[in-house]
Amino acid sequence: MTTLIRRRPALVALLTLALIVTALAAAGRLDAADTPRRGGVLLAVIGADPPSLDPHQESTFANIELVAPLYSTLLQLDPYAYPKIIGDLATEWKISPDGLTYTFKLHPDVKFHDGSPLTAADVKASYDKIIFPPAGVRSVRKNAYTAVSQVDAPDPTTVVFRLKFPSASLLANLASPWNVIFPKKYLDQDPNYFKTHAIGSGPFKFKNYTRGSTFEGERNPAYFVKDRPYLDGYKFYISPETSVRAAAIRSGRAYIEFRDLPSAEVEAIRKQLGDKVAVQETPMTGEWGIAINNTKKPFDDVRVRRALSLGIDRYTMAKVLQPLTGLRYVGGLMRPGSEWAMSPAELEKIPGFGRDAEKNRAEARKLLAEAGYPNGFKMVLKNRNVKLPYQDFAVFLIGEWRKIGIEVEHRPLETAAWFSDGQDTGNFEVIVAPTVEFMDDPDQFLGRYATGSTQNWGRFSDPQVDDLFSRQARALDHNERKKLINQMEKRVLENAYFMTGLWWSRNLVHWTKVRNYVAPPNHYTNQKLQDVWLAED
Amino acid sequence: MAINGSLLENAVAAEPATRPTWPAQLWGFARGKPLGAAGAMIIVGLLAVAVLAPTLAPYDPYLPDYGAQFSSPGADHWLGTDEFGRDVLSRVMHGARIALFVGFAASFLGCSLGGLLGVVSAYCGGTVDLLLERAMDVLLAFPQLILALAVASILGPAVPNVVIAVAIPIIPRAARVVRATALSIKENVYVEAAHGLGATHYRVIRQHLLPNVLAPYLIILTAQLGTAILAEAALSYLGLGAAEPTPSWGLMLSGSAPAYAEKAPWIGLFPGVAISLAVFGFSLFGDSLRDVLDPKLRGR
Amino acid sequence: MRTYLAKRLLLIVPTLLGVAAVVFLIMRVIPGDVSLLILGGDQTGRIDPQQLAALRHQLGLDQPLAVQFATWLWGVLRLDFGTSLWTGQPVIDEVLIRLPLSLEVAILATIVSVLLAVPLGMLAAVRQDTWVDYAIRVVSIGGQAIPSFWVGILVILFLVIYFGWGPPLEFTPPWVDPWANFQQLVWPVVTIGYRYAAVTTRMTRSTVLEVLREDYIRTAWAKGLRERAVVIRHALKNAMLPVITLVGTEFAFLIGGLVVTETVFTLNGVGRFVVDAVAHRDYPVVQALVFLIALSFVVVNLLIDLTYAWLDPRIRYH
Repeated sequence: MTTLIRRRPALVALLTLALIVTALAAAGRLDAADTPRRGGVLLAVIGADPPSLDPHQESTFANIELVAPLYSTLLQLDPYAYPKIIGDLATEWKISPDGLTYTFKLHPDVKFHDGSPLTAADVKASYDKIIFPPAGVRSVRKNAYTAVSQVDAPDPTTVVFRLKFPSASLLANLASPWNVIFPKKYLDQDPNYFKTHAIGSGPFKFKNYTRGSTFEGERNPAYFVKDRPYLDGYKFYISPETSVRAAAIRSGRAYIEFRDLPSAEVEAIRKQLGDKVAVQETPMTGEWGIAINNTKKPFDDVRVRRALSLGIDRYTMAKVLQPLTGLRYVGGLMRPGSEWAMSPAELEKIPGFGRDAEKNRAEARKLLAEAGYPNGFKMVLKNRNVKLPYQDFAVFLIGEWRKIGIEVEHRPLETAAWFSDGQDTGNFEVIVAPTVEFMDDPDQFLGRYATGSTQNWGRFSDPQVDDLFSRQARALDHNERKKLINQMEKRVLENAYFMTGLWWSRNLVHWTKVRNYVAPPNHYTNQKLQDVWLAED
Repeated sequence: MAINGSLLENAVAAEPATRPTWPAQLWGFARGKPLGAAGAMIIVGLLAVAVLAPTLAPYDPYLPDYGAQFSSPGADHWLGTDEFGRDVLSRVMHGARIALFVGFAASFLGCSLGGLLGVVSAYCGGTVDLLLERAMDVLLAFPQLILALAVASILGPAVPNVVIAVAIPIIPRAARVVRATALSIKENVYVEAAHGLGATHYRVIRQHLLPNVLAPYLIILTAQLGTAILAEAALSYLGLGAAEPTPSWGLMLSGSAPAYAEKAPWIGLFPGVAISLAVFGFSLFGDSLRDVLDPKLRGR
Repeated sequence: MRTYLAKRLLLIVPTLLGVAAVVFLIMRVIPGDVSLLILGGDQTGRIDPQQLAALRHQLGLDQPLAVQFATWLWGVLRLDFGTSLWTGQPVIDEVLIRLPLSLEVAILATIVSVLLAVPLGMLAAVRQDTWVDYAIRVVSIGGQAIPSFWVGILVILFLVIYFGWGPPLEFTPPWVDPWANFQQLVWPVVTIGYRYAAVTTRMTRSTVLEVLREDYIRTAWAKGLRERAVVIRHALKNAMLPVITLVGTEFAFLIGGLVVTETVFTLNGVGRFVVDAVAHRDYPVVQALVFLIALSFVVVNLLIDLTYAWLDPRIRYH
């Protein structure tokens, strides 16, 4: 009985989540059933300029939101049914029984914006640039394709991926919104050509970009999907100031902010505009956690690490931080609510995830005393100097750790310094370390816990974790893979090599006249805008 | 720019044979400079709050109360609570300590270093003067906030680092003013006489130059106090000031204030008022002090 | 005069060299570098050490500091400020996109501040130690005391709630559409102008006061001219030089000092560009901007000093 009651909130949360997702999907379908109106320019606001226009070389929303409508990808995530994988350029595909050969058939008459046809050679050239980048060309996601030995284009409409070993995540990674297809002839001239140019085969053509100000695309009349897009074009206003973006939505000078606005702003917008705006609340494939430097004293002691994790009351944290920051769900290394996540019952058995906060704290104090710190100790928490959600997250943590006798000095750093301390030099004791990916893919989320991974900020090495990681990556059976994943999660969290904090959610605000946009649980996918239409200007 | 050498005469002339008692002096200041007196009162009030903050503040400024987030001002929390349920009044009171510390420490550090460089520069003359002056030129050519921003980026955000970041741009400004005065004093007969009598450089600087540059030093010190407090606020706004959860005024009105300005305006309103009041007090006082010490010294 | 001019011009060279060296060093001492940021993206890093090394090499960051500095300086001498490490565009292009906006705001703000400050400062001086004087001083000191970004935030909030005005999303140059341009910039200009008016008012007041004490003014007074005529004809003329000096220096600083206000109002100007560039560790951009700001400051100062020297020959021998 008690367990049932204790579990209930988690159940309720999950059910609500499921309901929200279904409702949203339904809303999207409903819109789709309306008669779409042609024309109009979608006005949006965005919080940053991209370093370059080439998505292969970037990993920021500031890049993908702007350029995704200009390009096509081989596969894509279904805009209405995350995380289903559907074709974009590919019309069908076959996987050989041994899982080592993937054959894709391409849509036959696709044209680039410059009028030249898109063929298998362009797909091969683009993927070669991603998987085997030439010297002087960055490829941010190269490591996701270690299984691929070569890409072939036997005829203009066939692409074959050959693998060294089976990869459970390959299809998901081929649906990556970042892997856009470029025309080969420009890549041959200069592999970095698309850092400053944009020629794709997407629903929109590049029109204009003024750095720090605006980015515009216009309708591609020759788009290979019939009768799409509905919009005449789209225009992003670039403004790093949250209040300015919120004000733009409020005054109707922009209709949508794809990423996120703080709930306080959302509330104000809703109050003023009433049913002229809609808010889509979605979970996010992102987690805010804390990397612990396992090579530094006293954090090389598992008792100390575990005490730190036990000291955080994650359930109260979720309640407090959700309205402030959108950090909302208690979970392990895979997103709660996703197909890979452990059940709440399993999760609650892990130290620091139990629901009795007082008991956890007593346990933490006991562990600290055993480790030789009966009166606690002082430590420095490094962080990124971005207000939401980084600073608020840290404020909560500092208050929690104070309760178990750990005095924390908070040191927010500029992004560059935060990166270099966290990743490059390991010059930290504990540091706020978020994980955000484009979908709930285990390879993407778990790779960072393997020995020697550059994203392994905590610098720990556990052969058992490494083994579980590489086994799950090759496990083609879903249940088998899930079992391995959950084992790996437990291993990492029980030893507190790394501490998960909370999983993120977002408030996507848009004017209701923006139709047919269903927010996926991340801000990277479903940005092509091909089905979006405006009910009025 | 030329600052004429009348300061010395003024200082000498202002020293009557019998000094009035200090309450009388204060009264005289208050009568003659009511605005300055008002400024002084604000400063004294702030100092009192800063010193007594631990006893006066009704709550622990760091203690979150998740049952009382965004409480509007009322009986329990006179100035309301912030997004973590922390008492705004207590945070503003403790903030006075940080603001005054940064203000005094930074302007003291900057003015003292600058003043010293100014005196040395003026006294030594020649190559030393030329080199020091060029160094000051370089620092002066940087916009104040950009220099502070760069220094804060190097050192990372923490209160002592903010002090250094804010102090460095003050150095050349203080050096300029003090050097000008010191130059005019150096030319004076009695300094040469002291030299003639075999006084060491150190002795001449200490006994003759330093006391006489006290007036411009004090003037620039008070003038920079307010600037320093504002600079701290601006650095916090740009994310390079004190770190959460420190109750710094600048941080309080930069972090959460804009986002919650509509929902809970008191979060950002009171720290903003506190900053303005403090800077206002220092400026009023500084202005009047300048009038009293030397009406002709208008250098900034 | 010619030797004085030569001497002053010569002194500029070490100053600018010093500025260049200091900003160069500062940027190299700041922890974290641009290649990490480029590779790391915005939220989570996924950085391959080999790629990092390759990128550092490509950007020339693996060369000795002295070489990097010399290369940069040689470029500056040929008016080539290099390319932005962050965007790959020529720095000068990036600056030119933003300069018109900052210049316009700075000029308009200066005009606003002079229009407000000169009459108010004079009034305060003429009515010294009356309630008018006190009121003007309290307001002007108060104006300096309020943090500019706080005013900006309050102004934006007020305007958004009551007038549906939002900060400009894109910049319309005045030669394209003057009315749109005015609507976009009026509030930032007023916010900045008010603050500088506060400084200038105090300056005007004290210089006018000083001039009023001079003998010839008393003489003019005694001759029975009307009060206003005296003030305007004599006092103002003589008091304006220091005020012009101040306005000139403020203007030079304003370009760089727009940092905070441009951030609050999200104006795509030079000030915000500096902050962004520092945050991105975009060395060539920061170096170029700080160098240009310092250059304009030095030049304005030179012009002011030359004017003084021209007016008062004694200064040349100082």
